[in-house]
Amino acid sequence: MNKTILKSAFIVLLLAGLLLIPRYVESPYALHMMILLFMSVAQGQSWNILGGYAGQHSVGHAAYFGVGAYTTMMLMHSKGVVPWVGVWAGMAAVVVVALIIGSICFRLRGPYFVLASIAVAEIMRLSAINLTPLTNGAEGILATEIPAFKIGATVVTDFVTKVPFYYIGLFLVLLTLAVTYWVQHSKLGYFFQAIREDQDAAHSLGINIALYKNIGLVISAVLTSLAGSFYGIYVGFVDPPTVLGLDVSVQIMLICIIGGMGTIWGPVLGSLILVPLSEALRSNMVTDLLVKIGMVNADSKIGIFLKENLSHAHVLLYGILVVLVILFMPDGLMGFVKKLAARRNREAV
Amino acid sequence: MAVFLQSLISGILIGGVYALIGIGLTLIFGVMRVINFAHGDILMVGMYLTYMIFTMLGIDPFVSVLITFPLMFLFGGALQKVFINRVLDALAQNQILLTIGLGLIMSNTVMLIFTSDYKILSTSYSSATIKVGGGVSVSTPLLISFLITAAITAALYWFLLKTDTGQAIRATAQDRDAAQLMGINVKRMSIIAFGLGSALAGTAGALISPTYYIFPQVGSVFTLKAFVITVLGGMGSVVGATLGGVLIGITESMSAVYISSGWKDVVVFVLFLLVLLFKPSGLMGKSRT
Amino acid sequence: MAILEIKNVSKFFGGLAANSDVSFDVHEGMIMGLIGPNGAGKTTLFNCITGYYPPSKGDVIFNGRKLNGLDPDKVCMLGMVRTWQKVRPLAKLSVVDNVMVGALARTGSLKVAREMAMEQIKVVRMEHRTNFLAGGLPIGERKKLEVARALATQPKILLLDEVMGGLNPAESEEIIQLILDIKQRGLTQMVIEHDMKAIMRISDRIVVLTSGEKLTEGSPQEVVSNPDVISAYLGEPHA
Repeated sequence: MNKTILKSAFIVLLLAGLLLIPRYVESPYALHMMILLFMSVAQGQSWNILGGYAGQHSVGHAAYFGVGAYTTMMLMHSKGVVPWVGVWAGMAAVVVVALIIGSICFRLRGPYFVLASIAVAEIMRLSAINLTPLTNGAEGILATEIPAFKIGATVVTDFVTKVPFYYIGLFLVLLTLAVTYWVQHSKLGYFFQAIREDQDAAHSLGINIALYKNIGLVISAVLTSLAGSFYGIYVGFVDPPTVLGLDVSVQIMLICIIGGMGTIWGPVLGSLILVPLSEALRSNMVTDLLVKIGMVNADSKIGIFLKENLSHAHVLLYGILVVLVILFMPDGLMGFVKKLAARRNREAV
Repeated sequence: MAVFLQSLISGILIGGVYALIGIGLTLIFGVMRVINFAHGDILMVGMYLTYMIFTMLGIDPFVSVLITFPLMFLFGGALQKVFINRVLDALAQNQILLTIGLGLIMSNTVMLIFTSDYKILSTSYSSATIKVGGGVSVSTPLLISFLITAAITAALYWFLLKTDTGQAIRATAQDRDAAQLMGINVKRMSIIAFGLGSALAGTAGALISPTYYIFPQVGSVFTLKAFVITVLGGMGSVVGATLGGVLIGITESMSAVYISSGWKDVVVFVLFLLVLLFKPSGLMGKSRT
Repeated sequence: MAILEIKNVSKFFGGLAANSDVSFDVHEGMIMGLIGPNGAGKTTLFNCITGYYPPSKGDVIFNGRKLNGLDPDKVCMLGMVRTWQKVRPLAKLSVVDNVMVGALARTGSLKVAREMAMEQIKVVRMEHRTNFLAGGLPIGERKKLEVARALATQPKILLLDEVMGGLNPAESEEIIQLILDIKQRGLTQMVIEHDMKAIMRISDRIVVLTSGEKLTEGSPQEVVSNPDVISAYLGEPHA
């Protein structure tokens, strides 16, 4: 009982803190980092529902992210549709995509879903490049003018600062966390996990495998599309490689692999590691640090090499992390933590 | 008519190379049940290897296959021994993720070393063509690579059908446990299979290097196409992969000519989804429970 | 009317006839033993009956309704559930969560499912393992878990595939008692088993399969003294 009270208190305090940050933190860069973090958590939680709980590993979630982003951006840019309406169109679009791929793959045994998920994402990406009249092709869509959000006659926000985006991001995190929590504590969660653990056993226990896989996919796709739409209007620009590329899909998966699949906090942990790490690399923080502590001379060959290339190395880092985690910590950080706790309790966690 | 023949022949020629890629992947899957997501990146390594040999030693890419093949075989074998071997009994998803990770390491290391700049390997005959008659001409490098592919494929079939090791590999692919009980060293078979698969992928890379842009990310499209080929042919079937490769080559070539080159890959991927919808066990129909 | 009618069921894998023209009836409340040497096609028959794959020929009729390859989940919802020769625990879930998965076939409420699960956990005497991770259980308890989980789906007929395989005599005895208790509750059972003594004790009737075909059927006494059955197992006539 004590543990639950402590846990709840911690969560309430954390939430209060997060809500208050924009009041006291002015730095746009800090807010930007928090927004990136929120986006990453939302992406990870969304993927987790299908991949972590139901055990269906989509390596093509960029399809849902990108379709969400593009739909919202296209509607806003060419038809002036406000994004908070546009996101619904995005969600509807990904439901169609999800049901197509689900109905093809989920009655099959084997790795077909993984392969098909990549194929679908690639089809989306190539279509975005080729359907120029619709998507502006490889150039992408640039749309930074977001209409003001009004309730009645009052302007709630003009989207000028990063603050509204911060709260939207936070909302997405809370939404995806809530959905994950609900899934875990419902019949859905039990059936998803049964499918993950042993599909044949689950089937023989009355679980309609194809139906539940599809449900998991649709929930996951819709949430991912929300994250994509959010990305689009926050950054103001989308193009095929940025929102539909394979490394978007891999990145989303990575958040859960590192943090731990099938747990509520796994994607949070994974994001807390990946986002700062990749930002540190991207912004040359690491190189500057190495120079500062004197390990590397800024003008030496190594120094110049690092400065030019380390910023592109974050994907290399992703690859190394994946290999290390799969080989040594296949249940991710949460799994590792749980194992330690279990060893202490000798019971299921 | 000439246009039709032209694209058909081009398709068959490139299909040969695709077949090599597909055979490599299907061998790996057949023997180890591992989905090798790094396959395209291994091909990319073969491309860069060929590029380096060409620029530094001046050896013609088609000749350097003699060097590339064994080197890539060793590379693949090493990958298997150090990494893949550890996850042979792990969940399928972990195997997939591991190979994805390895692929990412490969492509990004190459990017760090060579930058993302597109490299072009031009030989004296890179844009040469040969007139075959009937208004049809074929690209010389494509023709040469097809001939080499045919030779390699023939050698591979001979290896699998006539040699002890080859038959051992086929036995392991059919039933790993039974093969082990018969005294076959299945661990060694896995290393050979992965080595062979990598050698084929790397060689395919070498063969297309005179005609394709060389850049670090070139692998991912080939990985996906390799999977389309193996699924189309039937996962684990070498004959299936051979047929599948040629079929995909023709599909691509025709799509490029009759639809547009921007959509040709989409056609291949849509074809993939259709195969999954109607005949997931592929042409040779080897369905395993 | 029999609760389960197997009518001329055959199953071919390529050229191999794993089941060949097998027919028998199972009546409500009885325990039907299914025996035969390894490779006789017993598990294949279970798979055909429960919809894991459809029979190539013949009919499977459950409570008057033709199944013939109906999906396993629908078969379970109709009231037929099976356990597996190689146990299939949901490893990362706890014992109670495992059994709840079964119970959730009959209720949407987690609370009710948990109550139903605890009931079955008590039946198999595993209350001390309620929150234990299924993956960490020893084989004997995995088998009991699988039975509890199957029972939670509130079946009308329970198919047990070598549920005593790999157990020591004490564990086997526990399972035998469990099977007899289940019979007391009015459930029909079909039991594949290699342990002849156990089969003799629990079965009302026994079907013998060899090489995919039904060799014979009868009471335990009739079957055990049948010379064909003996030679099927031992390969030679036995005095």
